[in-house]
This record gives sequence, C-alpha cells and structure tokens, in this order.
Amino acid sequence: MSVQEVLGEDPEIVLADKRYEIISEILEMSLVRGRRKWSSSDMLDKVFLDKWLGIPVFLSFMWMLFTFAIETSGVYMTLVETWMGWLGGWFTWIGNEFVVSLIVDGVIGGLGGVLVFIPPIFFTFLGISILEDSGYMARAAFVVDRIMYKLGLHGRSFIPLLLGFGCNVPGIMACRSIEGENDRLVTILVNPLMSCGARLPVYVLVAGAFWSSTQASGVVWSMYLLGMVLAVVIAFLLRKTLLRGEPAPFIMELPPYRAPTLHGSVVHMWERGFLFLKKAGTYLLGAGILVWFLASFPMGAPIEQTYAGMIGHAVEPLLRPLGFDWRIGAALVFGLLAKEVVVEALIIIFAVEGEAAISATIAATLTPIQGLALMVFVLLYVPCIAVVATIKAETNSWKWTLFGPVYQTVLAWIMAYLVVVVGGAVL
Amino acid sequence: MLYTVALIGNPNVGKSVVFNNMVPGARQHVGNWPGKTVDKKFGKFSYRGTEIDVVDLPGTYSLTARAVDELIARNFIVEEKPDIVVNIVDASNIERNLYLTLLLLELNTNVVVALNMMDIADEKGYEIDVENLSERLGVPVIPIVATKKQGMDRLKDAILEAVKRKSVTETKITYGVEIEGLVDIIIRIINKDTGLAEKYPVRWMAIKLLEKDEDILEKIKGSTVEGEILKALA
Repeated sequence: MSVQEVLGEDPEIVLADKRYEIISEILEMSLVRGRRKWSSSDMLDKVFLDKWLGIPVFLSFMWMLFTFAIETSGVYMTLVETWMGWLGGWFTWIGNEFVVSLIVDGVIGGLGGVLVFIPPIFFTFLGISILEDSGYMARAAFVVDRIMYKLGLHGRSFIPLLLGFGCNVPGIMACRSIEGENDRLVTILVNPLMSCGARLPVYVLVAGAFWSSTQASGVVWSMYLLGMVLAVVIAFLLRKTLLRGEPAPFIMELPPYRAPTLHGSVVHMWERGFLFLKKAGTYLLGAGILVWFLASFPMGAPIEQTYAGMIGHAVEPLLRPLGFDWRIGAALVFGLLAKEVVVEALIIIFAVEGEAAISATIAATLTPIQGLALMVFVLLYVPCIAVVATIKAETNSWKWTLFGPVYQTVLAWIMAYLVVVVGGAVL
Repeated sequence: MLYTVALIGNPNVGKSVVFNNMVPGARQHVGNWPGKTVDKKFGKFSYRGTEIDVVDLPGTYSLTARAVDELIARNFIVEEKPDIVVNIVDASNIERNLYLTLLLLELNTNVVVALNMMDIADEKGYEIDVENLSERLGVPVIPIVATKKQGMDRLKDAILEAVKRKSVTETKITYGVEIEGLVDIIIRIINKDTGLAEKYPVRWMAIKLLEKDEDILEKIKGSTVEGEILKALA
C-alpha cells in the first residue's frame, strides 16, 4: 500500500491520532480516575469561565478596578496638586516674567497637570497587576477569546490587546506572535482602540469635571469597554472585507489561581508606572514646553492669535458639529504627540492653574454630553505618533500605516457625533 | 566515568524543581543554546560515587521541526546522545504528557519516566498503576513529588541502573500493521546507507520521513538512498 493510502493528506495528524489512541489504551490498564475531588480552583473556574457568567464577571472585575483606582487616588491627587501649587509659587522669585511663565505655565502647569494623574495611573496598574498575578487575567483572555473566535478573530489576539491597556506600542509589537499575516494585521490595526494609560488623565479630568467620583469611575469603565467593543467590531469588519481568512484556534494553559502577594503586585505596578514616569520626565516635559511656546508666540499676541490659536482655528470647522471650539481643537492636535498632552495643552491654552481650575473651566465650556463626546473622541482618534511609527515598523507598509489613523479619526468623529446627537435627543 | 542525563518534559511539569533538587546550586550553570536565545541550564551532581552531568532541555509538548525549542531538544538527543533521558511527566495531566513520552520512545533513547505531581494526581482522584505503566511503556517509571523532594533518591537510583544497563530495549510501542509496514519499508532503505543509519535512530528517521519532517528531509540530502526514499514516500 502506498503512503498516501495509509496516511492520507496529512500523515503527521494521522500519526498523532494513533499516538493518542495508544496512550488511551495504556491508560485504560494503568489509570483509574477516581471520584474527582473538587479543588477551589475548579470551583472558581466553573463560575469565571461559565458561558453566560464569564463576561459579566469580567466586566464587574474591570468595574471594581476603575472604582478602586479612581476612588483611592482622589486624596493623593489633591496632594500632588498642592505640591505643584507651592512649587509654582516658589519660582516667582526669578522675576523675569518670560522665564517665570515658561516654568510656571509650561513646565509646572503643563507637565504638572499630567503628574497629578500619577495616582490613578498607578492604582490602575496595581489593579491590573493584582488581576494578573491572581491568575484571573488568563481566564479573562479565555472568556473574551470565545467571543473573538466566533467573530473570526485569531485567538492569540487577546494578549496583544490586553497589553494595549498599558500602552499600544508594546501591544502592537506583541502581535509578532500571531501567525498568519492577515490575522496579525487585523490585530495591529485595532490595537490602538484599546484604551492605553495615556488616555486615563483625559478621562479622569473630563469625567471629574462633570460627575462625582463614583459616577466618574463608571464613565471611565465605559470608555474602556467602548474601546474593546469597537476593537472587536472593527476587527470583525476588516476580517469580512479587506483581510479575509480563517481564524486559527488558540490553545492556552490556564495557570492555577494564586493569592497575589503585595510585593509582587507592587513590583509589577512599578515596572509599568516607571515607563510613564520616564515618559513624563522626557517626552511630556518637552511637549509641555513646545505647547507653551506655540501658545505664547508671536510674543504678546492674545492666545487666539498665537500659533496654537491658529492651529486650533484651522481644525475648528471640522470639530464644530461635535461642540468643540478652537481651544479644544488645538489641544486635540497637540494630543498627537501623546494623549496626555491633551491635558497639558488644555491647561496651557485655557491659561489656568491646577486640576481643580481646569475642571471648572471644562465644566463651564462644555456640556456633560459634549464632555462625553470629547472622551470618546480622545479614545478613538489618531493614535499618538509613537504608535503610528510602531505600526509602520511592524507592517512595513505605508498603506496600512495611513489606513489606521484615517479610519480611527473617521470612527472617532462618527462616534462622538453620535454621542452628541443621541445624548442631545435623550436629555 | 562521566554520564550525561537530559531532563525533558512539557512546560509547567516541575522540570526546574527536579533540576534544582538534583544539582546543588553552586554547580548549576546557565548559558545559551548555540546560536539561539533559548536558555540552556546545565550542571553536575555526584551520587553513590558516580559523577553525572545534567542538561535541562527546553519545555516542549512535542518534538517537531517547526519550533525552535522543540528542535533544540530533539537535536540534543539525537546528536549529543545523552546516556539517559529523564522524562518528567505531570501525573495529574498524564494523558497529554505521555505524548512526548511516546515521541521519546521513538527516538530509541534510554528513557526513565519521572512521574511528578503525584500529590495533585491523588487530589484529582487518579490512581495510577505505576508498575503496569512501566510494563506497557517498557521503561522504568518512578513516582515523585518534586516540590516535596519525595522520590528523588529512587529516581537517582533508577538513573544509575539505567546507565549501567546501557543497552536500549526495542520499543514496545507500535503503530499498527499498516503503518508499521510502511515504517519497515523506509527502514530497509535507510539501512542500505550505513553512514546515515549509524548517525541517527533509524526507526525514528523512518517515522519522521513519513510525517514529511523538514529537518529530516534536509538531513537525508546527499545520501546515496535519498532518491529511493523520496520515491517510496511519494
């Protein structure tokens, strides 16, 4: 008999089947599966991996995460705020108005405005670390994978998407582990929809301007949720149109549940938080100075006629329907540098000092619905330049590099517009 | 006389714990596999007057030519020819773990199975007839609980015995008349090239050729029987 007749098209699979047959024969004689004792890990999995309960459980853990992060950080934010105020006051001894403005408005106002968000960022990372160290995140991956697989997405996509919660750059780089070019491209293109840590300051600021901290954490949670849902929807659409193909199943080993240790979780939080601090000390510092410069020159001109004002006015017509004026427009353009810069720019352009003042200004400038639209827009529009550069590096294609930001901005506009229209109709 | 023992097993079966139990910390070394970024752990221990070299192979589920760590593991076994291959098996996941064991038996190596996590298997309600398992596989099977250092001396004794026995018994695992018929045809062809037949385990090569294993197809290139093998496979 020929090889083909005995082993068919895929001999490797035929032999693998044969080996498992032999294994079950052997075990039939040498293994007695007694009454299984229920371990606590099995009991937790029974609930956490349940077909119906899995997703609600996942969503409630995320809710707890943001409530914890935002409610806990309030006190610390006030503390950082107070320090920044003192620091700003202290620098007035310099005397030179120009230098004082650079330091107080540009560095302390702009960068300091972002530093206030260190507590919620760190507490969010702590919460994520605890969920990871306990073994729950792997279950979340499993539960979400079940939906993604049904929608035709590669199962291995979830891990890069999860990394995107920290920062989309490592998230996109992690897509290398995905076999299949189309699978990889889809995951890269939807990754920026996962709400990275840089967007958190914007949410906390805007949500905090309109709502109590309990409601605000719900709003932040819904932003993360919206990003995830849209990532899945867009991926599904791409799969059906531009990037067709069959998904590959994903085999994942679920680690046993472990009680997370304080030390371990704090170390993991620090590893992620440190990246933010590094970015703040270098990139965000530079961006703050740049925005301050653009908002101060031509020298002596009123803010509307500075370079920042001109940029804002240039984009204003596009943003008018969403209810954003030129000042928010300019902040959104500066947000291309990094999404935290939106907060820096708002503080500098509105020329206010401190988080409380900017909150009040935002509450006076926007309606709550417009605020919500702003958050949705910041979640979805063009990712920062670091992400665009990473997309270019990983896809090695200008076509996809351009496609990503373009579809995101269109999506951002449509979703924000929907918020304004639907919100306006409901209220 | 210095013997070499290779540790192999699926990921998360406690292979590192076994390694740490065997080799004292001061005698452990970490390096890289040549040209690869995969960690290579190795070390020495002496037991009842015998010096033994231990190499910890990468954790793998299978031994195909497609993944780097699997290729490292199997190349070490076929090319460096360790005296003993200790296969760490997770008793609480025995079905999946034995897949690798069967692949090792195909390689015609001197295998000792260390049946680890007996405590967890017990919790799961598994009762494993170790003697029967050993009988069916044709190799020694030693139950251990590596995390509690249970059964380590028995494992070391089994290694010494296996080293001294030296000869590898023909495997008892066969794949049924039809497949074995094909394997025999390929074996007969390979044996005509004595250079090739001495270099690698013949039965293993035959099976891998039937599986169209890329690495082995590469290895038979230039052999006098290459054409004949490819014809038989077609």
